[in-house]
Amino acid sequence: MSDLPEFSIRVDHNPYLPAGGRETHAIVTVTAAGTGTDAGTDASVPASPATEAAEVIIIDASGSMSYSGKMAAAKRAAKAALNVLRDGVRFAVVAGANQPRMIYPKGRRLVAADASTRRAAADAVSRLDAAGGTAIGSWLRLADELFAGHQDAVRHAILLTDGKNQHETEAELDAALAQCSGNFVCDSRGVGTDWNVAELRKISSALLGTFLDVPDPKDLEADFREMTAAAMGKRVTDVVLRVWTPQHAELRFLKQMVPVVEDLTGRRTGTGMIGDYPVGAWGNEEREYHLCVEVPAGDIGRQMRAAWVKVVLPGGAGEPAERELAAGNVLIEWTDDEAKSTRINARVAHHTGQSELADAIQEGLEARRAGDEETATARLGRAVVLAGEVGNEQIAGLLDRVVEVVDEGSGTVRLRQDVSKADEMSLDTRSVRTVRTLDRGGQDGHPRTRATRPTAGEEA
Amino acid sequence: MAICPSGHTSGSDDFCDTCGVLIPGAPRQSLGLADPDPASGPASREAGEAEEAEACPMCGTPRSGRFCEVDAYDFETGTVSSTAQFFAEPLQPEQPRSQPSRPSRPEAPPPRAPEGAAWTAVITADRAYYESVIAMGGPDAASIAFPPYCPERRVALAGGQVRIGRRSASRGIEPEIDLSVPPEDPGVSHLHAVLLARPDGTWELVDPGSMNGTTLNGGGKPVDVNVPVPVGDGDRIHVGAWTTITLSSRRPE
Repeated sequence: MSDLPEFSIRVDHNPYLPAGGRETHAIVTVTAAGTGTDAGTDASVPASPATEAAEVIIIDASGSMSYSGKMAAAKRAAKAALNVLRDGVRFAVVAGANQPRMIYPKGRRLVAADASTRRAAADAVSRLDAAGGTAIGSWLRLADELFAGHQDAVRHAILLTDGKNQHETEAELDAALAQCSGNFVCDSRGVGTDWNVAELRKISSALLGTFLDVPDPKDLEADFREMTAAAMGKRVTDVVLRVWTPQHAELRFLKQMVPVVEDLTGRRTGTGMIGDYPVGAWGNEEREYHLCVEVPAGDIGRQMRAAWVKVVLPGGAGEPAERELAAGNVLIEWTDDEAKSTRINARVAHHTGQSELADAIQEGLEARRAGDEETATARLGRAVVLAGEVGNEQIAGLLDRVVEVVDEGSGTVRLRQDVSKADEMSLDTRSVRTVRTLDRGGQDGHPRTRATRPTAGEEA
Repeated sequence: MAICPSGHTSGSDDFCDTCGVLIPGAPRQSLGLADPDPASGPASREAGEAEEAEACPMCGTPRSGRFCEVDAYDFETGTVSSTAQFFAEPLQPEQPRSQPSRPSRPEAPPPRAPEGAAWTAVITADRAYYESVIAMGGPDAASIAFPPYCPERRVALAGGQVRIGRRSASRGIEPEIDLSVPPEDPGVSHLHAVLLARPDGTWELVDPGSMNGTTLNGGGKPVDVNVPVPVGDGDRIHVGAWTTITLSSRRPE
């Protein structure tokens, strides 16, 4: 793969720890850039042999899809996705019900995209009927089987569903996710309001993809086109973030913060001082991670490497040796200068706030569903304050439809009584979607925080 | 092959492969803070934000009074010199650190809680102090009620510095004496005051520029900002609307 993007790593943190200080937080920004063509937006760009791609489109064809125009919209969306596949991409279309079935091609394999296969696939999609139930694990297993043998390609699946995974057990879905994890990336979309947010979150999290709600079926087409284009833009797959920490240190957590909050801490493979975390496929893009390391306390004046973060491409069939694509240091120093050690890094603060925001929303909605109005009011009120502080206007707007804000500064809210299912699901789904720290051009990203309202006593 | 201070053999010659500590003889890293230099900040960006609350040029925290709550930057004089003078000399990364930079504060071992005595801060809701605050008036005096239930709390003083304030998760401020625990005292700044251990086993109190000031032992006049005041057993520190922190030292038995 000669067309690798150029990776770089930037570390933002307060390097100074007070006497006895053990914990350091850093925001690690990983950027992939390069001259690679953004092929996804233009189907006429010839496939580069360096970045082979494989795409499986999975459309829910259970009986419920025939209501509210969902099936017709799904067909249009699938065709839009087919049109974005560049020539040479290996692809298939699968319909999901109690069992998955091949829509195109007929056999269990992938075919290369060209004008005639794209047209034949679109015709097959047009004839799709909706009948039966929902067993997503079995659909993913078929995709996994189709991707086998294409290990050098960027492997991507699109999953569209409108219902809960009712026709297989949770254990069956978990087993399927365990089997597929690491084999391909899957972006999921829920259409309508009968699907389960936690379920799609679990699937997209295990398969390193995104998930979104599409309340209105007519929006599916544009979404599929965009999602497929993004997949076509990926130029390297199976990327790993490798984190070295010193002896006797502990990596407390590693969370992806941009584009969405995703706790990677439990994904660690490897033991001892070096841990690998899978981060999937990359095009030209930038992601941010929040790293927290606890180290043994050092003497005043001591400098230490608290973490060494690297982007690594493990060896594959064509290129047996693993390659290190970028590296960044998290260096610290103990100081007795209180003015330095107590300084708050603005980007760390921003992402800490966004992380807490996602938790507050998910816990608040969970309490609301369970009928615990007190907890729901407290957590969603906290979310209103945090959304204001981190400047996440989209989430603030969605919160507004679920709670009535009495006082934004103190987070005093009242639960709305007539919340539409779509609004609640939208808030739940998008709780993990973050905003970047603004002012990214500068040395430091100051979050544009709303001026914190002075507390009662401070106005005196 | 380099050898680190703990005796590990290291392949990299800057920081030890095993324990991460700087290898002796390797150049010290200039760590610098990530915050932009106030003098060279891009003017165009500042102009766009002028409509909003003024932000501290040192750390970006929105202004809430004369002094920045986070780093005590003085918005009126545009300096942090008083803070810097007090807290320590500015760090000079290239300078070898073997010599204590201030004779009065030994660098090694790092400042620790005064030895020989166990120090405790007793945190109470103090009605007498509350009434003196209310008596002074102010726009919010009427709206602040004395908390009907506020159990006494005790915090052991440990380490070289103990911060008094209100925790802010979003801003990463976690004071050792946290007055955001319900009932939260609304008059306490996020970083309100700091207790610093002195080598002789006593403490000094510094208010780095809190919004409402800090008073001692029932006095009416707040302590001067950034001027350390010696405190010891039995001294009462008053902050916020009703909080009194009493220092208590007990010899080990």
